[in-house]
Amino acid sequence: MTIKIDPITLDLIENALLNARFEMDSVVVRVALSPVIREQHDEFPMICNERGQMVVGQFGSYIPGIVEQYGDDIHEGDIFVWNDPYACKGSISHNNDWCVMMPIFHKGTHVGFSSIFGHMVDVGGTVPGSMPADARTIWEEGLRIPPVKIYAKGQVNQGVLDIMLNNTRTPDMNRADLMALIAGCRTAAKRVNEICDRFGRDTYMAACDMLLDRTREAMKVLIDKYISNEPVSFTDYVDDDGLGNGPFKMHLSIYRRGDKAVFDWTGTDDQAEGPINFHIHEGLCKLFFGVYMIMAFDPKIMFNEGFYDLFEIILPEGSLLNPKFPAALSNRLNTHTRFFDCQAGALGQKAPHLSMAAGYGTSPHFIFTGHDKNGKYFQLMELLFGGVPGRPLGDGFDGHAWWPLFSATPIEYIENYYPVLVESYRPVKDAGGAGLHRGGAGIEKVYRLLEAGTISIHDDRETVPPWGINGGLHGGTSSKWLQKAGSDTPERIKSKLDNLPVEPGDKVIFITAGSGGWGDPLDRDTKKVRKDVLADLVSIERAKTDYGVVITTDNKVDAAATDALRAQMKSDRGEIEPFDFGFIPGVHEAAE
Amino acid sequence: MRLGVDVGGTFTDLLLQDDTSGKTYRAKTPSTPEDQSIGVATGIKLICDKAGISPADISVVLHGTTVATNAVLEGKGARVGLLVTEGFEYTLHLAKSWTPGPLFGWIVMEKPEPLASLQDTRGIPQRMDARGNIVRELDVEKSKALIEDLCNSGIEALTISLIHSYANDAHERTLRDLVHACNPDIQVSLSSEILPEFREYDRAITTVMNDYVRPIMTRYLSRIEERLAAEGVTAKLHIVRSDGGLMSASAAADRPVHTVLSGPAGGVTATAMTARRTGLKKLLAFDMGGTSTDVSVIIDGETMISRSTEIGSFPAKVPTLDVRSVGAGGGSIAELAELTKSLRVGPRSAGAMPGPVAYGRGGTEPTVSDANVVLGYLPSKLLGGEMELNVKDARKAVADIGSEIDLSPEDAAEGILQIANEVMLGALRVITVQRGLDPRDFGIVAFGGAGPLHANAMAQLLGCYPVVVPSNPGVLSALGFLEAEFKNEFVRTLIRSGSGIDEAQIWQSFATLSDSALAWLVEQDVQEADRGISYAVDLRYEQQGFEVSIKVPANLIENKAGLEAVLDDFHETHEQLYGVRFDLPIELVALRAVATGATPPVITALPEGGTTDIGLATMEVGKAYFGGDWHDTPHIDRDKLATGARIEGPAIIRQYDTTTVLLPDHHAIVDDQSNMLIWPNAKGE
Repeated sequence: MTIKIDPITLDLIENALLNARFEMDSVVVRVALSPVIREQHDEFPMICNERGQMVVGQFGSYIPGIVEQYGDDIHEGDIFVWNDPYACKGSISHNNDWCVMMPIFHKGTHVGFSSIFGHMVDVGGTVPGSMPADARTIWEEGLRIPPVKIYAKGQVNQGVLDIMLNNTRTPDMNRADLMALIAGCRTAAKRVNEICDRFGRDTYMAACDMLLDRTREAMKVLIDKYISNEPVSFTDYVDDDGLGNGPFKMHLSIYRRGDKAVFDWTGTDDQAEGPINFHIHEGLCKLFFGVYMIMAFDPKIMFNEGFYDLFEIILPEGSLLNPKFPAALSNRLNTHTRFFDCQAGALGQKAPHLSMAAGYGTSPHFIFTGHDKNGKYFQLMELLFGGVPGRPLGDGFDGHAWWPLFSATPIEYIENYYPVLVESYRPVKDAGGAGLHRGGAGIEKVYRLLEAGTISIHDDRETVPPWGINGGLHGGTSSKWLQKAGSDTPERIKSKLDNLPVEPGDKVIFITAGSGGWGDPLDRDTKKVRKDVLADLVSIERAKTDYGVVITTDNKVDAAATDALRAQMKSDRGEIEPFDFGFIPGVHEAAE
Repeated sequence: MRLGVDVGGTFTDLLLQDDTSGKTYRAKTPSTPEDQSIGVATGIKLICDKAGISPADISVVLHGTTVATNAVLEGKGARVGLLVTEGFEYTLHLAKSWTPGPLFGWIVMEKPEPLASLQDTRGIPQRMDARGNIVRELDVEKSKALIEDLCNSGIEALTISLIHSYANDAHERTLRDLVHACNPDIQVSLSSEILPEFREYDRAITTVMNDYVRPIMTRYLSRIEERLAAEGVTAKLHIVRSDGGLMSASAAADRPVHTVLSGPAGGVTATAMTARRTGLKKLLAFDMGGTSTDVSVIIDGETMISRSTEIGSFPAKVPTLDVRSVGAGGGSIAELAELTKSLRVGPRSAGAMPGPVAYGRGGTEPTVSDANVVLGYLPSKLLGGEMELNVKDARKAVADIGSEIDLSPEDAAEGILQIANEVMLGALRVITVQRGLDPRDFGIVAFGGAGPLHANAMAQLLGCYPVVVPSNPGVLSALGFLEAEFKNEFVRTLIRSGSGIDEAQIWQSFATLSDSALAWLVEQDVQEADRGISYAVDLRYEQQGFEVSIKVPANLIENKAGLEAVLDDFHETHEQLYGVRFDLPIELVALRAVATGATPPVITALPEGGTTDIGLATMEVGKAYFGGDWHDTPHIDRDKLATGARIEGPAIIRQYDTTTVLLPDHHAIVDDQSNMLIWPNAKGE
């Protein structure tokens, strides 16, 4: 690097880029129509340097693959779009995510890229929502768009747009959401141009490199500190693949080889017949490890992909994490989240005080479609939330989003637009794993359906509970129930299902998983245990069996009985196990 | 004699306006956080002495208060009981399920306890649907038992927030009657009155926040009224609302949630006033204090209104002046990130205690003010000579940071200022470029203790000229209160798709809102000639999440026709704001009527004396560091400058309540209203 940049200019450029990245978010959210992007923020922006490395953003690293395909044929005014995971090396991992990317030019010179992908409500395929729980190939999961130009030198490619919108059940929404993503990318391009004008283009480009280097140096320190030559391993399970197969094992080993941290997934089960395969890009893998290390060990580090060469990833071919075409992919979120659980479990062994328990372990969906009294088609799609795990900082959160910046769609919004009536919405009692810091509980949402139609459900952690850590106990599992109109008894239905017919007056009881606890529940402040009991989040029985806290019938803590019980339980228990799984195939029965 | 009172974190500022002579008097006295009314009473005594008047001569007291804000921020509000629809007891606990970014952001998320606890929440057997139809009748007997139990549990105020109550408030009203039958003294707020809009969490938290601060506000208002009476003040007390309007003290006691941004409102209103006076139509208000900086936009002399704000981690959906706040101020601490060694400024602040290192009150971490001291921008004596600054220690603290990243103390100090400026720039950018406004079309008004120190640099970055430094930047907020108007908003949520819009129903609803607005104006004793009612409708494309408010001319409402033009206006505005318009049905979300009662403008007499000879106004010549070098820089006494005086940069202009930095290649001119206007020399002057 010939250009010398003083540290202040570097910090100024960093701040300016961060501002631009948040501006992308706000533009997308304001313009988009679908509740998934707008209310729930299922969209991910980034700004990259001219080589396609993410300088700011959340999920990065997929640009080089696209650039490779187009070579010199990338021009000012071009905007690319794609959604086929197999055509972009897993840069996005199911067809519902439409990814937009534009090269950024400053006075004719290529200086970087901006890109956003967002979740479309529907992209065609065999079922509304395009995520068939029983798909065996990607052919069933809707339109596949390879990287193509939706704008070429500023001119819209109407043909491509028409084909895309002709293959979805929700063309108006997809059109607006796509335009929102494009508007977001253009905003970033504008800001990058301003930064180039202000500091000089060469300075800007050199600064991007330095920002990447700076994060790389910081990551080196973290690797030195927390990753040893001695491998640490962790195993967790995905319930099933929607076709009756499972549970599926995921196994991760982490060790150091020279300067590099190796993340080795050897031992992970072969790819599934059903759609839970997670075709993950190697770069994304690195990014996920990096983010976790930054957030857990030093959240002040700017989060970019400067550290990629310090990580080595092993993804066995034909496994759940590196499936062969045309394996079905649409419900990869279970696997995706379990990926994070394994990562937390493995990294946590070297730094237990800094590690987290497991959460609700997917992104539960509820889809309800049909035609209303006026014959108008409706398609409700809602993401639900569950237990956010116990943490070193404190308790987890009941019924909160494990995914960043997501939020629940207001019930009053849903009832204004869709023929449902939500009867209740509350955290599940005793579903947060006990701990010094209690895990968050899952939620129970009861929908009464007001029209006939069909429902689809996707969830996980129904058989394999979220584990606890450092003495914390595992959390509650998920379950789904259908109570037919006129009946008093709900019947259990599967957590992965599609197109189940429903009648007006039927109720769906949607229960998501909780999360694991952190630290020894026998050391938890008795006042906190009592408070949870009063809030109906923990039962008196579980206060006793999990926490050793004796609560009297008039809701007081019996201090003497509690001390005695806790002492007894500690001596009976002996040494604390690092993890509490609640379920290991062949050892434990599946949870009910 | 109108009196404006602004209670800030450190000082209580007062401004007295004699409407006959046009003279203004100002006073500053330390705030008394344990009971703000003590400081107010002291200030009133002080200012009456200064003006030589009796407290009985004051005709009206206009008061901006941070009582409500502080109660929420410090978690010191009342214990609030909450009645919700059965099945939704956990609405506040679940708080929309939101967690921050990036991925794993929840690891470091801090979340305060809800403003009403689960133990003080009761689920009421009843249910409305989205159209306001009763799905489940209110079970009065069960409700009575629940209410009795709750009212006897020690709560101090009570919120009723039922699902879809914006569409039908009948059950909320019945419940209020039941509560009052049980305990006539308890204060009750209905969500259908405080925020009759859909989105159950926002409505509930806003209403609960009202009750959370209500007992405190009620007590405060009665205390201050007592103290005013004791001082001999007979004038009516009015409170400044978050949207810059005024409300009577009794209205403030009923709806204190409308005062959560009362504090910053004055400065913004005063900026609007400056815009009208100077003829500068587009201005940015730049209020930089000790811990944070508030910025907002003025267009055509009008403030911008936002419909939601955040107090700490709680959203409040009330009309507020659209103020962006960032955690960068004079007291913001500069530090290096441990691993990357990148320089960070704020949001941690040294506050008033211990304060910047230079204040010599025990602060050891370098702040933005210390950087200003090192560079020679802040004179070594502050506040008219009362406070001596410790330049040596400030320099050492800044030098320590510099040495870690191989920078000289001066360059490190410049770096600290640049980073702080960049953070503030982010906020200014949000309110301008992000909304399609070009900052180069704007001027910037600098106020607050540190505003004039940084405003020239901000203008240089954004290209927004002139920089306007008013004559009293330190008490500008109090001045703004004097010109505030009475204001109240009346809303009806009416979610209807464009194709299904019943125009007659809209005009009918507007007529009802108009009646309520008029009744309120009468109740507030606003004279007929001063009354105004304006109308707006919130629209969006079908199923979009955010509405755009479009003005509805009053004549449309009178004629009950012309909705088409309003819809066209929406398409146009959407395109202007977000760069796209869609060929989709438009959805109507809410109707609004805003009632206003005008107050007479403040007419200030021009200052007498002063000079245009800068030499005569120069106090001393010091060294100041600009662009990598030390320059001989004159320190000029602002009070000695007359209209027409022109100062060439670089210069430091000092006055009682602030210091202005005039950069090289800029000049400042004193206008005929005692404002100082800074322009770049390149502008051809």
